[in-house]
Amino acid sequence: MADNRMDDRAIRILNTIQLVIASFIILAPVVWMVLSSFKPSFEVTAYPPTLVFSPTIENYRQLMQTTPFFSYAVNSLIVTIGSSGLGLIFGIPAAFAVSWTRISWPAILTLAARMAPGTLFLLPWYVMFRQVDLIGSYTALILSHAVITLPIVIWILLPSFDNIPRSVFEAAQVDGCSVTRILWRIALPLVGSGIAVAAILAFVFSWNYFLFALVLSNGDTKTLIAAAFNFVGEGSTSWGGLMAAATLIALPPLVLAALVQRWLVSGLTLGAVKG
Amino acid sequence: MSDAAVTLTKDRQKLELTALSAPAVLFTVGMIAFPVIYTVWLSFQSFSSTGQQSFAGVANYTRLVSDHEFWNGLWVTFALYVLSLVLQLFFGIWLALVLFHAKRLPGIVRSLFISPFMMPPVVAGMMWLVILDPSLGAANYILTSLGLPPSDWLASPTWVIPTIALIDTWQWAPYVALIVLGGLQSLPPSVYEAAQIDGASPFKTFQRITLPLLLPTIVTATILRSVDLLRFFDIIYITTQGGPGNASNTLNIYGFRVGFEFFNIGYAAALMLTLTAIVFGAVLAFNRLRNAVAW
Repeated sequence: MADNRMDDRAIRILNTIQLVIASFIILAPVVWMVLSSFKPSFEVTAYPPTLVFSPTIENYRQLMQTTPFFSYAVNSLIVTIGSSGLGLIFGIPAAFAVSWTRISWPAILTLAARMAPGTLFLLPWYVMFRQVDLIGSYTALILSHAVITLPIVIWILLPSFDNIPRSVFEAAQVDGCSVTRILWRIALPLVGSGIAVAAILAFVFSWNYFLFALVLSNGDTKTLIAAAFNFVGEGSTSWGGLMAAATLIALPPLVLAALVQRWLVSGLTLGAVKG
Repeated sequence: MSDAAVTLTKDRQKLELTALSAPAVLFTVGMIAFPVIYTVWLSFQSFSSTGQQSFAGVANYTRLVSDHEFWNGLWVTFALYVLSLVLQLFFGIWLALVLFHAKRLPGIVRSLFISPFMMPPVVAGMMWLVILDPSLGAANYILTSLGLPPSDWLASPTWVIPTIALIDTWQWAPYVALIVLGGLQSLPPSVYEAAQIDGASPFKTFQRITLPLLLPTIVTATILRSVDLLRFFDIIYITTQGGPGNASNTLNIYGFRVGFEFFNIGYAAALMLTLTAIVFGAVLAFNRLRNAVAW
């Protein structure tokens, strides 16, 4: 018996050590990125690399002065909020109808975007948007990013709507409520947390999406992620600036994800796992 | 209510439900279904350097067969896929077991584990680009301090694929871990207790009991990762753009460059349809596998 308890303790300590190692591997590169962004320019590329230095915000100041970082950020916000909003407006009623009718093909159709390579859509969009002169417009960017956000919204909300007992709807129907009214007045308030998770994940994945803006944006509408490609080109001259840009771009999704981390996993697997 | 009235409400209800899903369906048809059909049409067209378009028959598809960049892309896509998937499943399952046996998981640990795959892949690429710099990067400093030879990482034609696989594993193994952790938590505890009473070693218990019961969850994680890995784009485009040479030129990167750097839209369409067929084929195959291992 005493032996057993020793074993248990040894296993627990071993497990904690592994957890610390794993956390270190995950965290270290991010810490290095943030540290590098606060290093004076001569120290960023110092070899051997330094851990102790006098921090400066010079890299951030330079980034703001030498690049239109702020307008890129505004572009990213316009595209991200626009496409998340569109995803919610289209996705909420669609998820409700799919949950009600159990006819799932509209939901499955939206999943095509999750499986096909983005370039498959980008080629025809490019030809189509060029014909109507929308290349470089916010409209093209918002529409294309909504292809990312719509399946997220639908597949996160589906299980939430499914979880509402049918008797709730039936009672409302007997009282003469129309389906649309049931959605807005009864179902929607019951899936509030699902909508919050859907909105945040839609925001994160739209913010992070690279490929579409690479082709569909122009100098005035370029998103931060697409502009990152230029930062890398200029980064050979300034690692500090590059890491400052990387840190700022990663900040919004990381903060939002931390807010909803508890509900995130089941949402991310499109309901494949009840987390 | 009379029969006629009931039919009327039923009809009305059906109409309302159709109207509710109509915006999403119309949007999907306009932005996904129609463009894909259009891509099929584009794949039978040829585009001259001046943008003139003409019917090309199956020329774009026969060109695939003799294009060694296509075969290289297929090989790179496959190598990167297998290597990344194996690494992510291995480290993901390991992480899941570690998390599962931790007595309690504070929210901060969970936040830590989701941060790699919540940050933009592009940022992950920028971050590792600096860490893995062949001459001034921190990674080579650590290697040489340990007495190991430095590596050229992303700049080496031999190591670029393993390096990109490692970067993606850093980003997505925690995701696999959280899925597998969900699977572990849904297993009935009685299974372990029975095994413990029978005196099975922890390793045996894992191999004979936990792993088979986890298979459906692992296949789910495999499907979700396959879909992303076969379309690998962001990290490669930000770090190497397919280089050095064509050592990391996956089909997706190659197709993108054919389409938007050389503006050969027709051939790019043929490339992308081929890649899409591969992704859907993989998903269908794994779906069958998942049904086979379900319990």
